[in-house]
Amino acid sequence: MLKVENIKKKFTKLTKKKEKIEFYANNGISFEAHDGEIIGILGPNGAGKTTLLRIIAGILEPTSGSVTFDNLNYHDNETEIKKNIAYLSGNTKIYNTLSCYELLHMCADIYDVNKNEAENRIREITKILNMESFLYNRIGSLSTGQTQRVNIARCLIHNPKYYILDEATSGLDIMSSEIILNFIKEEKKKGKTILYSTHYMEEAENICDRVIMINKGVIMDEGTPEKIKKDTNTTNLRDAFFKLIEGDSNEE
Amino acid sequence: MKNNVWNILKKELREMFRDKKSLAMMLVIPIFIPLLIIGMSALFESEMSMPITDYNTIGFNYELTQAEESIISELDINPVIDTEANLEEKFQNGEIDLYVTKEENIYTINGDDSDTSTYASNLVENYFNAYKNYLQTDYLANHNINPDEVLNMIVLEENIKTEDNFFSSYVINYAFLFIIMAITVSATYPATDATAGEKERGTLETLLTFPIKSRDIIIGKFLSVTLSSIITGMLSLLLAIISLKIANNMFTIYEGVNLMLPLSSLIFAIVVIIAYSFLISGLCIAIASKSATFKEAQSALTPLTFISFFPGMIAFMIGITTTNLYACIPFLNYTLIFTDITSGNINYIHIFLMLLSTMIIIAVILKIIIKQYKSERVLFG
Repeated sequence: MLKVENIKKKFTKLTKKKEKIEFYANNGISFEAHDGEIIGILGPNGAGKTTLLRIIAGILEPTSGSVTFDNLNYHDNETEIKKNIAYLSGNTKIYNTLSCYELLHMCADIYDVNKNEAENRIREITKILNMESFLYNRIGSLSTGQTQRVNIARCLIHNPKYYILDEATSGLDIMSSEIILNFIKEEKKKGKTILYSTHYMEEAENICDRVIMINKGVIMDEGTPEKIKKDTNTTNLRDAFFKLIEGDSNEE
Repeated sequence: MKNNVWNILKKELREMFRDKKSLAMMLVIPIFIPLLIIGMSALFESEMSMPITDYNTIGFNYELTQAEESIISELDINPVIDTEANLEEKFQNGEIDLYVTKEENIYTINGDDSDTSTYASNLVENYFNAYKNYLQTDYLANHNINPDEVLNMIVLEENIKTEDNFFSSYVINYAFLFIIMAITVSATYPATDATAGEKERGTLETLLTFPIKSRDIIIGKFLSVTLSSIITGMLSLLLAIISLKIANNMFTIYEGVNLMLPLSSLIFAIVVIIAYSFLISGLCIAIASKSATFKEAQSALTPLTFISFFPGMIAFMIGITTTNLYACIPFLNYTLIFTDITSGNINYIHIFLMLLSTMIIIAVILKIIIKQYKSERVLFG
């Protein structure tokens, strides 16, 4: 189980007049994610979604609060936790000079997957993601959709328990997006926990068991898509989203 | 999981050897070393062995006596007799290399500071010494005095052991300084690419999601840059040795001198090059990893090229000798110890101090970078 407790993340930025301004990208976010759950993290640009997911993936350290995976925390068990995580964002870049095959082998080595098992998984994943035609091509020569498929393959190689996906379908064509959504559904069936941030409300409504709506670093509402629609008296998540944002602006 | 340093090293080496710019930096820069060695030798040779016919046309504004003509002929001088005004014009036109004017018994040598004029001036001075000696001997003989008793009242003998050939030590030391510069230049590109470049391309974020300790990431990157520097250093050394061998046979200034280093000196020279490669790679990674972009890192690393070169060059120019303290000062120590090695003075304490100080500096640098990689500033700084 993933437990996020009272996460706060303070950043400092410089104004044009070179004055330092402190602000909270996340300001007291808490939630839990259970095995086999897909949690949607929704919010406008600058809401703090990416910061939150980076903290959960262990790329950033929170100013305060804690993240635990199966009662293990980053402070004492960073490598152990990271072995069970796959992080993928729409902006995740991979090594252009390596071939897909070399990258997958490198990841298998890093995640301590033994050679025979790695070879079998690469073959299996390549088939599932339809990567046979470009497996030995350099990543730099692939299209955006193909690169994102390699990224997914990279995430699958160590059979992680947790997926952290930050706008993983952003900028992709409908076919490539479909491959990612199918992959999420398949992994859920295997009991994996998936945190999924997206701008596409319909996508979230279709695949998420629960949704967390955040804005300005705080949770505005959370629950199943049905609960959120009921809370906001709307018929879809898009309208619920706008209603919550509107309410948040009015409160100011 | 235990082999993550190896995994990172493998990844970095693959990227490095597949990147044309990294390869060019690693392999092309050493090619300049033979050019430097052969070029410097050719320059020295041209300055040292100017044929006498290039500077022996000397003007005189007076008629030469038979004795003067005899000495002039002995010294291979080609005299041109004319008026002072004409001689000046001929000198300006390059028809003569120097001219001598005479007023009563005052002789004036007229020339400029060009190479030909300087050579001609030396020749004329030799002529006047010989002529003065002739006049003195003649005068004393006419007055029934044995010239030997007056002119050679004391006997001066020279017993000066000649140091190593000036040109050979000059060219060997400059070749080493150039090897140092080549290693520095070749370390900057892969160090920038592995740190600021990785940040700029966005792959650093991916790397930080892997279950790899920041220590392993840094050591893997450091070793890859060091390996690239060592390759450049070894290639430079090999080309320097070949060039020195060629120069040794090609130029007369090295006559009687063996430019080849003995095997023991060569082994210690390799040790110095490897130690320097480790140091410069650590420094380059430390500086580049603080930069957000490739360009920023390259600007930050530019001064390092000069810093790596100047202490050694100044030490060589003003003739600083190695002490225990100097053996610990980075940049200065490598050149001083190399100079000692090439002149056959292998001091094990100095070499040990150099290696020790290098190891301490590298340990401190790596600790700082590892700490930096544990912080999110490495992504956003």
